[in-house]
Amino acid sequence: MAVAIAAARVWRQSRILGQAALLLLLRRPGARGLAISHPHRQQEQQFSSLDDKPQFPGASAEFIDKLEFIQPNVISGIPIYRVMDRQGQIINPSEDPHLPKEKVLKFYKSMTLLNTMDRILYESQRQGRISFYMTNYGEEGTHVGSAAALDNTDLVFGQYREAGVLMYRDYPLELFMAQCYGNVSDLGKGRQMPVHYGCKERHFVTISSPLATQIPQAVGAAYAAKRANANRVVICYFGEGAASEGDAHAGFNFAATLECPIIFFCRNNGYAISTPTSEQYRGDGIAARGPGYGILSIRVDGNDVFAVYNATKEARRRAVAENQPFLIEAMTYRIGHHSTSDDSSAYRSVDEVNYWDKQDHPISRLRHYLLSQGWWDEEQEKAWRKQSRKKVMEAFEQAERKPKPNPNLLFSDVYQEMPSQLRKQQESLARHLQTYGEHYPLEHFDK
Amino acid sequence: MAAVGSAASWLFRLRAAGAEGHWRRLCGAGLARGFLHPAATGKDAAQRRQVAHFTFQPDPEPREYGQTQKMNLFQSITSALDNSLAKDPTAVIFGEDVAFGGVFRCTVGLRDKYVPVKNHSTFYLYEFDYYFGVHVQNMEDSCTGKDRVFNTPLCEQGIVGFGIGIAVTGATAIAEIQFADYIFPAFDQIVNEAAKYRYRSGDLFNCGSLTIRSPWGCVGHGALYHSQSPEAFFAHCPGIKVVIPRSPFQAKGLLLSCIEDKNPCIFFEPKILYRAAVEQVPVEPYNIPLSQAEVIQEGRDVTLVAWGTQVHVIREVASMAKEKLGVSCEIIDLRTIIPWDVDTVCKSVIKTGRLLISHEAPLTGGFASEISSTIQEECFLNLEAPISRVCGYDTPFPHIFEPFYIPDKWKCYDALRKMINY
Repeated sequence: MAVAIAAARVWRQSRILGQAALLLLLRRPGARGLAISHPHRQQEQQFSSLDDKPQFPGASAEFIDKLEFIQPNVISGIPIYRVMDRQGQIINPSEDPHLPKEKVLKFYKSMTLLNTMDRILYESQRQGRISFYMTNYGEEGTHVGSAAALDNTDLVFGQYREAGVLMYRDYPLELFMAQCYGNVSDLGKGRQMPVHYGCKERHFVTISSPLATQIPQAVGAAYAAKRANANRVVICYFGEGAASEGDAHAGFNFAATLECPIIFFCRNNGYAISTPTSEQYRGDGIAARGPGYGILSIRVDGNDVFAVYNATKEARRRAVAENQPFLIEAMTYRIGHHSTSDDSSAYRSVDEVNYWDKQDHPISRLRHYLLSQGWWDEEQEKAWRKQSRKKVMEAFEQAERKPKPNPNLLFSDVYQEMPSQLRKQQESLARHLQTYGEHYPLEHFDK
Repeated sequence: MAAVGSAASWLFRLRAAGAEGHWRRLCGAGLARGFLHPAATGKDAAQRRQVAHFTFQPDPEPREYGQTQKMNLFQSITSALDNSLAKDPTAVIFGEDVAFGGVFRCTVGLRDKYVPVKNHSTFYLYEFDYYFGVHVQNMEDSCTGKDRVFNTPLCEQGIVGFGIGIAVTGATAIAEIQFADYIFPAFDQIVNEAAKYRYRSGDLFNCGSLTIRSPWGCVGHGALYHSQSPEAFFAHCPGIKVVIPRSPFQAKGLLLSCIEDKNPCIFFEPKILYRAAVEQVPVEPYNIPLSQAEVIQEGRDVTLVAWGTQVHVIREVASMAKEKLGVSCEIIDLRTIIPWDVDTVCKSVIKTGRLLISHEAPLTGGFASEISSTIQEECFLNLEAPISRVCGYDTPFPHIFEPFYIPDKWKCYDALRKMINY
C-alpha cells in the first residue's frame, strides 16, 4: 500500500494521469473481492442531457478545453524499490522482511548452486558435451526472491532464464543435467534443446522457445485457478524483449479485463540478445505499461533479493485476495552472453559487464548481508563452494554416462493416443534401422 | 434443375424471413447482420443475388440416441455446448461476443443458464485437483454464468493462448474464433504451442481439453475475409485435430467428441449451413468418433470425397451422374481432416478405381493434394484414371465472382465425366 501511494504521488506530480489514475492504482475491492472496474461504474451513471459531463462509454474522464499532449515521462521514470543498498545493508528497517536465517541461507545456497551449475554446464557445451546452454548470471536474485515469496504449488510459466525458480523448489541437479543431456532420465524424453526444463511435481510448466507465448497461457491458468477457488496465484516470467511481443499485450489485457490472479514478472536485464533496451522500447520500460491496462505495477531492484521477495509477496497476497493482476518489473543485468551461441563482446564492452559482475551482483549483495548478520563466514563460504562444486560434478558425470532414450520415443505423445498413420511411420523407421542401423548412433541410445 | 433451385431459394427466403425479426434484435455485429438474410425480394431476376449452390440434404432421424428435436446447425452447436456446460463444471466458453449469444447465435442462452444452484454437490476433478489441490465447491460464492460464458478482448492470439492456459490446468476450454479467416493471429499459439504441448514436455503437461470453434467456408457474399477454409494450414501440424461437420446431427456429435477428446481440436462450422441445414438432432449428448470418415452412399464406379458444405454438392453430383451417365458413386464425408481416415478412402478407391476430391479452398496445397498423394501411393495399381481435384482457384476468395470461383456441381460433374471417359 505504501508503495502504491508513493508511486501514485510520483504520477500525480508528473501530471500524467491525474485523479482517475490514482483511483486505478488504488482500486478498491468490491464485495466479492473483485475490483470494481471503470466500465461498470460508467454504465451505472444516469444519463442526463442537462449535465455537461462526458457520457462516452469508453472512458471515465472530465472534459478539458486546453490542447495538451500528455508527455511520456522518461527522464524520471517509475522509481526502483529496494531494501538493501549495494553493500547489503538494509536501508529502511520497516521494509526489512526479517526472514529467518535458514530461509536466507536457502536463498544464498540456491543462487550459488545455480551459479556453479551454470559455469559447469556452459563449459560442457564449449567442450561439445551438450549442444547448447543458457546461463543465469546476474539474475539469480530475480529467480530466488520471487520463488521464495510464492507457495510451492503456485503455477510457474517461465521464458528460459528462470532456472533459479526450479533450483529454489529443490529440482534435483540430476534432472537439470538429464534435460540438458537429453538422457534416459529426462522427464521431457529428450525432445527439446537444453534448458527447456519442466516439472509437473514442482508446478513449473515446461519451457518453450517461442517468446512470450506463455503470457496469455499463464492468464488462462490463473482464470482457472480463480474459478476453482484454489487460492493460488500464477506467476509468469518474461524478459523486457519478450514484452514487445503481441502475446504480451494480449496477456496483460486479458488478465485485467478477466480479473485474473496473476503476477507478471518482467526481468529487465538490459538486452535481448544484442538489442539494448533503447532499441526495444521508447517508453518508461515495462512497468509503465501496466497502468495503461489497468494493472497495479511496480519496479524493483532485481539484484536485491529482499526487494524482489517483498514485492512478490505483497503482489501474491493481493492478487489472490482481490483477483487482479500485478506487474513487477525487476531491473537487473544479464552478465552472461545470451547463450552459448552468442559472444556479447560483439555489442557491449567488457567494462560494462565487469561493473555489474563486481559491483552490483545479487549474490555478493546477499553475502554481505549474511556476513553482517553473522550468519556466514569465509570458512563456510570455502566449504560450500567446494561442496556445491562436488555435487554439480557428480551429477554431471552421471548424466554423461547415461544413455539416450529409446528412439521409439520420437513418435509418442504427439497425441494422447498414437494415430495409425504415425504408427506406420514408426514401423518404417524400425525397418529402416534394421538395414541401415550402422549409420545411426544407436549405441548411445536405450534399447 | 431450375425448379429445384428456385424451390430451395423460396424455402431459404421463407425460413430466413420468419427468423428475421428475432435475428435483428439479437444480432449486434454489423457484418453478421448481412449474413443469412434472404436475397432481396428483387424485382429484376437478373439483379437478384445468387441462390445457394447446394441443397442441404438432411439425414434420416437418428433413433439410437433418444428423443430428437428439429434443430438447425447453430442450434445443434448450442445444444452441444449446453450439454458440455451441464456435465463438466470446469467447462468455459469464451471469445468475441459470445456472451450475448454470438454473431451466429451459437451461444444464445448459455450465459444466463449456468448459474450454480445452492447446495451444489462437490466435484472431484482429478487433473484440476492436481494443480490446485482443492475440491471445486462453494462455486456460487465466486461464480455465476458470467464466469462460464464470457467475452474476451478482441485478440485471437490472446483467445487461443488463454484457452491453452485453462486447458493446461485440466479445465475444459471452448474458445471461439469469430471467423476462420481471423484465426491466423493465433497460428503461433496453435501450431507452436497447443499442438506441441504434450510432446515437448514429455507428457508432463498438455492442453488436450482445449477446443477451438470457428465459422468456416463460403456463404454467398463473404469475399476474402468471411469465406475462407483454412484447414490445409493446420493439416500440416501434428498434434492437433481438425474436424468439419456436414450437418446439425453430425456437428453436435463431432463437437462433443472434440470437447471430450484429450487433444487440442479445431472445429470448423460451415457458416452457410447455420440456418440452411435443419434436421432432427438428439437432445441428449452423444458422440460421433473422430478420425473416422463416413461412407454416406455406397457405389461402384467412382469415389467422391468432400467435407462440410461440399458434401451436399457432391451428393447432387452423384445423382446427376446416376441420371445422366448411369454411373454409381460412392460418397465419403471425411469429417476429420487430421488425423484422417486413410483406410476408408483406400478401401473405397480399391473398389471403384476412381477418386474425385472437392473443396472450396484453393487447389494448390489444399487438403485434396494430401489425399491424392497418399491414395496414389497406396492404391496406384487400382486406379483407372488420374485422381481428380475440383477446388477453388488459386486466388483469394472473391466477392462478386463467387459463383465462378466455387467448385460447384457443374465443375464436379464435368470432372467426373472426364474421369469416367479416361
